[in-house]
Amino acid sequence: MTALSSPYAHNNQSVRKVMLQVQLAALPALLAHIYLFGYGIVIQWMLAVTTAIVVEYVMLTLRGRPVLPFMTDMSALITVTGLVFCIPPEAPWWIVVSGSAFALIFGKHLYGGLGYNPFNPAMLGYAFLLISFPVPMTQWTMPGEVVGYTLDFMHSAQVIFMGHFDGNSLDMITGATPLNELRTGLSQGVMVPDTLRAHDSQLPWGLNSWAWINIAFILGGLYMILNGTISWQYPLGFLGALSAMALLFHAIDPAVYPPLSFVLLSGGTMLAAFFIITDPVTASTTPRGKLIYAAGIGVLVYVIRSWGAFPDGIAFAILLMNIAVPLIDQYTQPRVFGHSR
Amino acid sequence: MGLLQRLATLLPLANHWLHRFHGGVSPQYNKSLSASQPLRTTLMPSQLVLPLQQPVGLPAEPIVQVGERVKKNQLLAQAGKDPRKALIVPIHAPTSGTIEAIMPMTLPHPSGLEDLCIVLKPDGLDEAIDNALQVDGSAPQTPQALKDILLQAGIIGMGGAGFPTYAKIPSEAGKIHTLLVNGAECEPFITCDDLLMQTHADEIVRGALITAHALGAKRILCGIETNKPAAINAMRHAAKQLQHDNLKVEIKEVATVYPMGAQKQLTFELTGVEMPSKAHAVDLGMLMMNVATYAAIYRAVTLGEPLTSRIVTVSGLGLEKPFNMPVMIGTPFVELAEAAKPKVALDYPLVMGGPMMGFQVQNNQVPVLKTTNCILANPPEPAEMQMPCIRCGACMDACPVNLLPQQMYWHAQAHEFDKVEKLNVFDCIECGCCSYVCPSHIPLVQYYRHAKSEIKTIKAEQQATELAKQRHEFKLARIEREKEEREARLKAKKEAVKQEVAAASSAATDAAKPAKSAAAAAAAARAAAARKAKSAATQAESPAIPPARLKAIEAAKAASARAAKQTAEKSPEKTQQAGAEDTTLDAKAAARKAAQLAAQKRAQAKVSGNIEISDNKESANTPDSKPDPKAAAKAAAMKAAAQRREKTQQAGSSQTAEASTSPKTEAIDLTGSSEATPASEKEAARKAAMAAAREAAKARAAAKKQPVSEALSAAEPGASSSEVAPDPAEAARLKREKAMQAAKARAAQKRQAADNSNAASDASSQESSS
Repeated sequence: MTALSSPYAHNNQSVRKVMLQVQLAALPALLAHIYLFGYGIVIQWMLAVTTAIVVEYVMLTLRGRPVLPFMTDMSALITVTGLVFCIPPEAPWWIVVSGSAFALIFGKHLYGGLGYNPFNPAMLGYAFLLISFPVPMTQWTMPGEVVGYTLDFMHSAQVIFMGHFDGNSLDMITGATPLNELRTGLSQGVMVPDTLRAHDSQLPWGLNSWAWINIAFILGGLYMILNGTISWQYPLGFLGALSAMALLFHAIDPAVYPPLSFVLLSGGTMLAAFFIITDPVTASTTPRGKLIYAAGIGVLVYVIRSWGAFPDGIAFAILLMNIAVPLIDQYTQPRVFGHSR
Repeated sequence: MGLLQRLATLLPLANHWLHRFHGGVSPQYNKSLSASQPLRTTLMPSQLVLPLQQPVGLPAEPIVQVGERVKKNQLLAQAGKDPRKALIVPIHAPTSGTIEAIMPMTLPHPSGLEDLCIVLKPDGLDEAIDNALQVDGSAPQTPQALKDILLQAGIIGMGGAGFPTYAKIPSEAGKIHTLLVNGAECEPFITCDDLLMQTHADEIVRGALITAHALGAKRILCGIETNKPAAINAMRHAAKQLQHDNLKVEIKEVATVYPMGAQKQLTFELTGVEMPSKAHAVDLGMLMMNVATYAAIYRAVTLGEPLTSRIVTVSGLGLEKPFNMPVMIGTPFVELAEAAKPKVALDYPLVMGGPMMGFQVQNNQVPVLKTTNCILANPPEPAEMQMPCIRCGACMDACPVNLLPQQMYWHAQAHEFDKVEKLNVFDCIECGCCSYVCPSHIPLVQYYRHAKSEIKTIKAEQQATELAKQRHEFKLARIEREKEEREARLKAKKEAVKQEVAAASSAATDAAKPAKSAAAAAAAARAAAARKAKSAATQAESPAIPPARLKAIEAAKAASARAAKQTAEKSPEKTQQAGAEDTTLDAKAAARKAAQLAAQKRAQAKVSGNIEISDNKESANTPDSKPDPKAAAKAAAMKAAAQRREKTQQAGSSQTAEASTSPKTEAIDLTGSSEATPASEKEAARKAAMAAAREAAKARAAAKKQPVSEALSAAEPGASSSEVAPDPAEAARLKREKAMQAAKARAAQKRQAADNSNAASDASSQESSS
């Protein structure tokens, strides 16, 4: 059956294709992650996808919705992919399972499913994990450049499912992320430049592993901008505001506030800029609204990182700006052709 | 532009930098399917179906009989009424043949509408009437001359909307400074304008020059999309050949983007003028017409040919040999589609127009219209399931009007049509870009069409409700007024009765004691005023009037008895004073009542005035000579009061009373006459009769009183009260006027004076407070 009224043509775009584009764009970061941190993320990802399939099936059945079309829209895949990048690669298996389930059930299905959720499901799941299980969430696997080796697939699986491998405990291979170290250092009176100098990297251009993950995200993000999957306003607004904050405060006090390069290439900055805040369902949709929304997140991320209780603030910054979306949309409506403002 | 174009082929994003207007899409054009084929020779169909109803306007009236033989270009139907009003377009025979029937047939319309059509059976001879419009071939010098030819030729906008061209052209020369030629043809598949420009460029250019010359236009701009290089070349060539020293057609290449051919978008592209939302291009001194329309204008003006054929694209993925062909208006779709060798049987609906804005016909037998640019045969494809909106904003990026399709959809889905309207849904040109790009496959345009029709329905309903409300209010006001009139009649009767009672009582008592009768009358009047006030307060209790009247009469009798007792006890002088005071009070009460009534009247007049403004004005200008019953009643009351005073005083006070009565009577007359509506007119006769009856009654009462007053005047009881009486009367009059003014102001404030009793009580409270 065809459309009842014009247009009878379509550009053959579909929700599934959009989601798969995003998944494809996340591939460079995934590969970089595997290279730098080992296979932990693959196991986490598979766990998350399995959870997503089960949760989607159960929730769609319970809600009485057609299961197959909605399961194959691939939106759940993007949600859990976003979440997996936020979880330590060797975190216990129940972290990612509970986080994914929470994200999909409470972040999406309880609001009416795809398109009706006010909050970014991935970030809701991430915030849930950060608040509920703070300790495992801050124990990051150390990259190969630091400990000298990365775990292979089987060892990773052992750690994730049993908490140890070959009798070695998890603590031996995990540590704090640079963002965390900075925060801990400052609380102990170690100034930012000293903390950064103590962790000089052997990788090209002196960039550490987390910075390289961020660069991989930039690659994927640029791909998505060029093929029109995401709007350029989101990364521009977000990175612009974050950079402005970083430059301003670094200029005021370089001893306390890290330089711009560190701010942009640490934590989940680029993941948020290209993959998380670009989730259209929960973001502002007007052209100016997108900029304002993204800039708001940028400011909030810097505020939470610098003065908040968490090392990285993307989850809370995004959730906070999600609340403001209806208001932003209301006041940023574009001028209609033939109308004066 | 060249660099940008190359960039755009690499980067879809760069497409937006090639044109001025926002959004737009680049669909799969598929134009080469038909454009690559040469123009085919006209097909002689088995029958021609000519609808009397054109896309715009009212149907024409046939002037031929069934069975009549007609020649090509012969007039078949024309406007019976003034065509300029109803946008009627005449219809001519596209070929020679016999009129087979005049009957309802399915039209190419989204709804599958059926309407009266002339069915012509071609005889294949194609005998034509040359110069059917009887033109001399010279270019019209005035817009009106051009318009006359265009009307006779039956030319309508051939780009899509089909608005009669003669109605589109302004009558005054010089109003149009820029003539725009739309050769964009942005819809996929359609190439009829492309082929027309390639093969008949000179006709288009000549048509444009003729139009510009007649209208006094200074500039002619023609926009052609870059994907039609052959057409651009042909048009450039023709424009160069035919250019006058002061007038030439400027051919402008415009970017290939859908919807470049939309009027406002192409106007913006060519002139940089963004047409205001509700404005027409003509108001801005610009006139845009399709290339085919200009060619038809040329043929009508110089060859005297009416519009009976047009080039039609027959294309689609379901056809093996798509083509363009000059087609007779009225040719059935299916015959043309069959001529293009369909790949599979045409058991699916054909589309009239392009895939973006066309519509599926309900029946493939429908005829080609003057607006049919394309017949599209695309076999049905399995439609993608509609997913929820993910707010991706692709629709917003594609919208050429810069609307927020996604938010309009959201509200349309929730039936919040006021919000949809606020998001300017009526600026939507239904180009289909939003639906085209929607990854969730939401039929957005369908939602907007629905929302538009819903909003229109809601507005019509609101209007009807408002009208019904006004009617209802008017009816209530009329009922109220009738009741008041009834009461006034009753009151007049009662007054008469009272006068009789007073006369009787005064006759019974000593004629030398007139003060007593005056007091009695005053008491009666007071009682009447009290009762009146009561009845005014409880207007709805009309059945309670008879008992009230009885009560009042009793009260009046008691009062007269009391007064008689008083006069017996006290000195006549004192009694007279009291009587005078009573009169004053009575006058006040009467004044208040009058003001109240006047306020009510005005309020009613307001209500009725809302409905019948013109009537109101007319009747207000020529005050009704008929005395309003209430006014009469009032006059009677005043007269009675005056007579009462007369009894005790001399004629001077009565004159004052008379003088004070007259302005009020006039005012009431005015308001009374202002409600002279058809509804009340039928009462006029009754009123007149009533007035006559009342006059008779009054006369009777006066006759009865006559001896009394004579006796009074003979007695001449005392001059003191004669000085007292006029003053209160004067004060009462001033007060009344003040109250009336206040009431007027209030009534003016309350445009919708819905509650008459409210207004009345307001008036009385204002009165008492002042």
